[in-house]
Amino acid sequence: MTIKVLGPGCMNCKTLERRTVEVLAELNLKADVQKVEDLDSIVGYGVMRTPGLVIDDKVVWQGGVPTKEKIKELLESVPAGRTAS
Amino acid sequence: MREWVKLLILVAVFLAFYLVPIDVAVVTASISAGLILLQEYARLHVLTCLVPAFFIAGTIAVYVKKDAVMKLLGPTTKKYIAYPVGSVSGGILAVCSCTILPLFTGIYKRGAGIGPAVAFLFTGPAINVTAILLTGSVLGWDFAVGRLIAAMVISIIAGLLMSFVFREHDRKTTDNGFATGLESDVPYSNLTVAFFFILQLAVLVIFGLAIDPSLKAILVILLVLIIAGIVIFTFRKEHTMEWFRETWNLTKKIMPYLFVGVFIAGTIETLIPREVITRLVGENSLPANAVASTFGAFMYFATLTEVPIVQKLIGLGMGRGPALTLFLTGNALSLPSMIVLFKVMGKKQASVYILTIMSLSVIAGWLFGEVA
Repeated sequence: MTIKVLGPGCMNCKTLERRTVEVLAELNLKADVQKVEDLDSIVGYGVMRTPGLVIDDKVVWQGGVPTKEKIKELLESVPAGRTAS
Repeated sequence: MREWVKLLILVAVFLAFYLVPIDVAVVTASISAGLILLQEYARLHVLTCLVPAFFIAGTIAVYVKKDAVMKLLGPTTKKYIAYPVGSVSGGILAVCSCTILPLFTGIYKRGAGIGPAVAFLFTGPAINVTAILLTGSVLGWDFAVGRLIAAMVISIIAGLLMSFVFREHDRKTTDNGFATGLESDVPYSNLTVAFFFILQLAVLVIFGLAIDPSLKAILVILLVLIIAGIVIFTFRKEHTMEWFRETWNLTKKIMPYLFVGVFIAGTIETLIPREVITRLVGENSLPANAVASTFGAFMYFATLTEVPIVQKLIGLGMGRGPALTLFLTGNALSLPSMIVLFKVMGKKQASVYILTIMSLSVIAGWLFGEVA
């Protein structure tokens, strides 16, 4: 599973990145977490209201920092076969 | 912040303490002037204006449905809707300055095009809600309203100009829009959110009224109780926590710079000779407004620090017109932001944008000085 955190590097984007990593650890999931800071790439996903969260190239969240429960939900909504690791 | 920047700052502070002759009269006077202004802000503006203003900004960040606003800036929106929405959305969508550039790029390349994007880009920093509220509290509400209206009108004119000059560069296809409809919006009715917002605004307004202090206290307590009631009984706990977090983040980000800014603003009163200010920007003439516009465009003001600076410049004899001009270019443009604009928009577009904003601000400031 590849997770991308979209955001030019402000406080909210860093919070989202940190929460995502924490949730992954809590769920015992392995994923490749990347930070995307390039504006054109961010907009390329159709995301304007940063921070945004992309799981396996699909935008699942944008425009605020989701709670950890919400991130858990978003991660679990990804097809089961792909999250297993 | 890069390590060598930290080192440079540390060395500069060290050299300042090492070299400045603290016991010379003018230095002592300016330091105490800085402290006096700090006390004025601490006593008059922090509790009654800034604290409510930060909560209001937090409300906008968490409770306003931004997806709905974004849809109005989409690729298929009619121009007569997209421009006005672009001109006010800066205050709604971009509470944090770091969100402005992705939004601008998005509206430009995937949404309503360069015109509304420019309108948004200008009003984002210019009609920041905390800045408008502090302006009103410190300099009077005619200034706050003037600043708000001038910024909105300028943004629309600048947007129209940009889209006319660069009409062949504007995107023509309406293929892929924004990622909307994701679950990031809050589930409360617009009415509830509007009521919640107005209650907080009322707290701030009542603080500013010249009424009997005990009546004022009763009214404020009443409003705070209603606000607390809404928070406890209507809003979900997770959203309330987000509201507190956003408010705290803004406070953390802005307050340290503001205190430094207020201190510096206090010191300039004794450091800059009154004659210099009255000669350069004392009258409401076009040259005076042009000086204010240029100074504001190149100078960097951290959020809100423009308010104490302008307050003290007015105290030194700056005219009201040039003061408004300085507000308009002060926040929207700075040397660092110009460099970023050149990178994002390209040389030609950025130059036209910067010159347009600078000259429109001169006109707006001059008009304000003539009318008010």
